[in-house]
Amino acid sequence: MIKVSHVSHFYGEEQVLFDLSFEIKSGGFIFLSGESGSGKSTLLCILSTLLKPSSGELLIDGESVDKIKNLDYFRQSKVGFVFQFHYLINYLSVYENIALAALEDKKHNIQIILKKLGISELSTRYPNEISGGQRQRVALARALVNEPKIIFADEPTGSLDSKNSTIVYGLLAEASKNGTTVVVASHDMQIENYATKIIRLKDGQIL
Amino acid sequence: MISLKALRKNPFKSLLIFSSITIAVMAIFLISSVSQGVIGMYSKMIKTDGDIIITQKGISDTFFSNVDIGLIQKIDKLKSVASSYGMIVGASPIGHIPIAGIYGTTANHFSHYKLSKGEYPKDGEVILGANLAKQFATRSVNIGNKRFKISGIFSSEIGFEEGGVVMNIEDAGRLFNRSASFILVTTDLPNNTDSIVKEIALLDDEVEVKTTQNFVKEYNQFKIIENSSLVISTLAFAMGLMGIASVMSMIVNSRKEEFGIMRALGKSRFFIIKNLFFETLIMSVSAYLFALLLSLGILAMLPHVEMLQGYVNGTLSLSTAIYVLASTLFMALLGSLVPAWIASKTDPILLINQGCA
Repeated sequence: MIKVSHVSHFYGEEQVLFDLSFEIKSGGFIFLSGESGSGKSTLLCILSTLLKPSSGELLIDGESVDKIKNLDYFRQSKVGFVFQFHYLINYLSVYENIALAALEDKKHNIQIILKKLGISELSTRYPNEISGGQRQRVALARALVNEPKIIFADEPTGSLDSKNSTIVYGLLAEASKNGTTVVVASHDMQIENYATKIIRLKDGQIL
Repeated sequence: MISLKALRKNPFKSLLIFSSITIAVMAIFLISSVSQGVIGMYSKMIKTDGDIIITQKGISDTFFSNVDIGLIQKIDKLKSVASSYGMIVGASPIGHIPIAGIYGTTANHFSHYKLSKGEYPKDGEVILGANLAKQFATRSVNIGNKRFKISGIFSSEIGFEEGGVVMNIEDAGRLFNRSASFILVTTDLPNNTDSIVKEIALLDDEVEVKTTQNFVKEYNQFKIIENSSLVISTLAFAMGLMGIASVMSMIVNSRKEEFGIMRALGKSRFFIIKNLFFETLIMSVSAYLFALLLSLGILAMLPHVEMLQGYVNGTLSLSTAIYVLASTLFMALLGSLVPAWIASKTDPILLINQGCA
């Protein structure tokens, strides 16, 4: 489903990824592990099309990302992303934040997902009116609303306590069981309990 | 609508943009209006009271012009001349007021000044403009080195006159040591004045005769005021517009993270630009209208401010208002949409957190 072919990446003159090639098959819970600075977040950003690699090719469902004509629609319909710091838009309510990401024909999912994640009573509140754990659940709801084929999560529990971390991992694992490919970059080894595949990175290379 | 929510949810930022645009637009309006008003007042003063003006040849300023008042008798004998009067314009300290306009005129022009109190001046007397009169409770006033009895108070639509004094031309002649600054002639044929202009010019080779329309067009003082106000208002305009553009640009740059999130969620560049366009439009137009209302309010109050003696008067033309609106919108949109467009072409994750190594 995802094929990475000879991908390298530079920030200025500093190389952070070195000629990576690997494949991720559909379904499953993939754990990108590595210490801080190992390049796992950069790789996750490239896999999710949020960052263009300096060289190499990324194929999703057999199609080169460089050749996708409407990358915006591709992101919205096929990919969900959960950031470490939730990145909700502060002037939109919980419902509106999710609706912003939702495709027209997926808007009916919003209430269902809010209920499933136990945050339906927060739908009219604004991000600064809810807790960190609740915000991250809203971010997860936003990533799930379009029923994407792949969810990418970068340190999704980095700003959460252990109780909320377990809730978020449980929700990601459930999405994975329902057929969504989940790719998580983290240095939290707790994820190993959920992972079906682990890709370990060190200094920009796969171990 | 996302644009309105963005504006409402960030009231401080919205207020900052609103205030910046309002102040910039007001500065542009007030500077250009006041200079237009100064020219308007003086040209109205000359244009409304005659078709032809006679000044001293080679003297470009009415303040320094000296024309023989005896010429009036010869002019009055010409065919098609309805009336003529002489006038001296000058400026001098009046009582405790450091400077005010002094208008010495022949008696046949006194009726131009509508008396609200008292009677027209005789020798050694003056009438005060309503604005100036507010500053004097006495029955007489010092002008130059002479004391004049205040015989009445008059009102005028022209701010310069409302803040000045009127006396008979003989007294003004002694004060400023001249016969007349200019003579104004009203004809029976206001649309065909060329022949009368030629006839008057033949009466005295020391004078310059023009239609008042041409005089106003060519008057050097107006050109100086126009040019300097053009420079000042252009500078104020440019600074104001640059201020608007830079405020918009700063606000947009501070929202790069938000644009990155939207791009990461699959929102198109067009979606971001469209929303920003409406935000800028709402903000600019509302700030412009607020600035327009405030400026009109200030301009309406200016003639009544005692300290200004009615000398500062503003005229805001429709063309200026439209031009300022167009320029404001252009610069605000330029300041917001260009950085937004550049930002929207950047990889989303770089916008969100400037790299994710």
